[in-house]
Amino acid sequence: MEILERMFNVALIVATLRTTAPILLVALGGSFTTRAGIFNIGLEGQMLLGAFFAVIGTIFSGSPWIGLLCGVAAALALAFIFALLVVTFRANEVVVGLALNILAGGMTVSLLKAIFGTRGSIFGHGLVGLPVLRIPFAKEMGWFGQMISGYTPLVYVAFLAVPLFILFYKRTKLGLYIRVVGEKPEAAEALGISIAKIRYTASLLCGVFAGLAGAHLSLGYTTMFTENMSSGRGFMAVAILIFSAGDPKRILAGCLLFGFSDALSLRLQTFGVSSYLVLAVPYVVALAALFALSYRARPRIIQETLASMGRALSVKPPSAAEPPALAREP
Amino acid sequence: MPRAIELRSITKRFGSFVANEGVNLAVKRGSIHAIIGENGAGKTTLMNVLFGLLQPDEGEILIDEKPVVLPNPAAAIANGIGMVHQHFKLVPSLTVADNVFLGMEILKGGLIDHAAQIARTAELSRQFGLKVDPTERVGLLSVGIEQRIEILKVLVRGARTIILDEPTAVLTPQESRDLFETLRGFVAKGMTVLFISHHLEEVMEVSDTVTVLRHGKEVATRPTAELTKSDLVQMMVGRLVSFDRRPRGPVSGSRVLAVDDLWARDDRGLHALHGVSFDVRAGEIVGIAGVAGNGQTELAEVLSGLRPSTHGSVRLGETPLTGLSARAIRGAGVAHVPGDRLVRGVDRNASVSLNLLMGRQDKAPWSRGGIINRGYLADQSKALIERFDIRTRSAAAPVKSLSGGNIQKVVLAREFSGDARCLLIDQPTRGVDIGATEAIHTEIMRQREAGRAILLISVQLDELIALADRILVMFAGRIMGDLDGGAVSEERLGFLMAGVDEHGHHVEREMAS
Repeated sequence: MEILERMFNVALIVATLRTTAPILLVALGGSFTTRAGIFNIGLEGQMLLGAFFAVIGTIFSGSPWIGLLCGVAAALALAFIFALLVVTFRANEVVVGLALNILAGGMTVSLLKAIFGTRGSIFGHGLVGLPVLRIPFAKEMGWFGQMISGYTPLVYVAFLAVPLFILFYKRTKLGLYIRVVGEKPEAAEALGISIAKIRYTASLLCGVFAGLAGAHLSLGYTTMFTENMSSGRGFMAVAILIFSAGDPKRILAGCLLFGFSDALSLRLQTFGVSSYLVLAVPYVVALAALFALSYRARPRIIQETLASMGRALSVKPPSAAEPPALAREP
Repeated sequence: MPRAIELRSITKRFGSFVANEGVNLAVKRGSIHAIIGENGAGKTTLMNVLFGLLQPDEGEILIDEKPVVLPNPAAAIANGIGMVHQHFKLVPSLTVADNVFLGMEILKGGLIDHAAQIARTAELSRQFGLKVDPTERVGLLSVGIEQRIEILKVLVRGARTIILDEPTAVLTPQESRDLFETLRGFVAKGMTVLFISHHLEEVMEVSDTVTVLRHGKEVATRPTAELTKSDLVQMMVGRLVSFDRRPRGPVSGSRVLAVDDLWARDDRGLHALHGVSFDVRAGEIVGIAGVAGNGQTELAEVLSGLRPSTHGSVRLGETPLTGLSARAIRGAGVAHVPGDRLVRGVDRNASVSLNLLMGRQDKAPWSRGGIINRGYLADQSKALIERFDIRTRSAAAPVKSLSGGNIQKVVLAREFSGDARCLLIDQPTRGVDIGATEAIHTEIMRQREAGRAILLISVQLDELIALADRILVMFAGRIMGDLDGGAVSEERLGFLMAGVDEHGHHVEREMAS
């Protein structure tokens, strides 16, 4: 009983919200491209580049806010290249996304070496993180105050963005057009909505949020940059996006689930469970739960895969080696 | 009466191909005007010119008797023209009202005002008798309702002239009647309807005036009341089409295909064939008639090896075919022209010549030692394209660039040019225009004279009466009657197809349990 109490308390909720925020930011960004009908596997690279340039910007300017802008600008540049290749030149989305991820990984490593002469990670050098926001009167609100106060600004941005995203897709023209372009491009075309313009807009908006997610990792979640510090969050976001079909509410649910298992696994480590096993927990839990949740509402990609597999199987003629049953019929 | 639309000597070329040549069209306000013609006669091109999707090379467009230039659909819409395309462009996850207002949303404080859109859609729906629920999601609705939404989309943009491209192609008969009712309501309100069709009955039923196009030219524009169906056919095709019985010699050949007490199940596991037995002799065409879905598809699939039978036997001469694979059955000498040519007849992305090769790519002289004999293939392709009059740019063009009739000719050319003793032909002229249908019929007769045994499955009775020596009528997986093709009445066929046998007894259908 005491162990359970030590494991499940307000601190766990706080930890969950903290671990959820970065993946929520990047997944919300990805919802733009997902809903516009682009399979954007390049989230990881955009996030990593955002994290790196946020650190560089902060070190050279002394202000984490300017660093934040640098991070967003860098992710935006990568998002623009992605849109140029995918939308204008019609290159394969997966190939371009993977290539840009590799580029981002390599670029941060070599720039780290070129600028600071080190490998691995960078901290110090006058690096300051984003300030922690203390909500006034939070102390008087007991455990609730404890839960909502004391995070870096981007955590609030991430969670407050969710209702705004819902409103955006439901009630704004741009949100509606992004959905239409993704779901039925020929309908958009017939009504004079430019598919290319909408897809560029979606890609760039995605870049902004991926950049914010990256900046949060290096200036909010931690105050340092480490090689490959996005550590698969971009890919996890892609998985959440596939299963949520870009719906903000389901993205939030998926990210919270991931954040919770992540926070729980950190907890478990302190109880002496093997760290290798524990590190796999969030991924396993999140994937299993997402798959179970979305099995009925299978998104387009899975449906199409299943349908084409079904076609391939049904076209196969009965082989001569297995003659059909010739049972006598009534 | 004033003219809502007038097109004067419109010419539209695509490279060296002339799609419309000096076409004149005058449409009276408050009338239903039909445009008919064979596939490729230039109907859709003409309507795309009128809707601003294509620019004419010559000629002028007048709307309400004033000349206009329509550089894009937006200009056409601004001039009160709306178009309902053959393929609907609706977004399944959005509501009816959202779809209607897509691209011209009602905004309030920068946000979309869903309530106002729903109210306005409901109002239009009442006003024009187009029954829809504005709050429902489009993905859940039937094709007929989807069409109503497309019409509402056009109305909400202020159209006074509505163009419909093949509007009934996707509708059930009941939905078609509802649509005609709506269209009559439009003209009663002073609006104008232009619709494209190649369905003669509905043109006769609903239109006030008909314009016939042939090979891109206007052949005639007449009040519908002055015309008969055969007038229309004659004008569309440019010559008399004879679906009369083809002349033929007696059947004298020996038995080639013998089907005995054949049973099979359909995809749902119900019995689709209930003990079917018949023979086909050399030089004989046996027709299978029936309303679609009475076991004809399953029969063709069983005979070609695509579906297992559960009981009974099939023999080709003395060779049993029961239980053999599709490939083995082909090898034994059965050629198959499948009912759905795009799924099983051709590979759409492959070239004409590769499609002509398919199925015999491992046989000499088509290939040797596993290498395709390109020279032989090129010669044979050229010869077959010529002999079957396949209209294609070249033998290397992908099959998908051909019209439906020409795709079917590719299938026929391949299947008929082998050495099969038995031809299994399923719906040879479905979706094929009248000119190509005639050519296909002539080719089937030629195969009969060459002494092949032919099983012809068709839902078109005139086709069976024209070609078949005997007609077997299928109902609910049984053969209801075996009629002499030369002495059969459509009435008698109709009774048998409805499941009423020679003695006036109804046959019961097996129900899903």
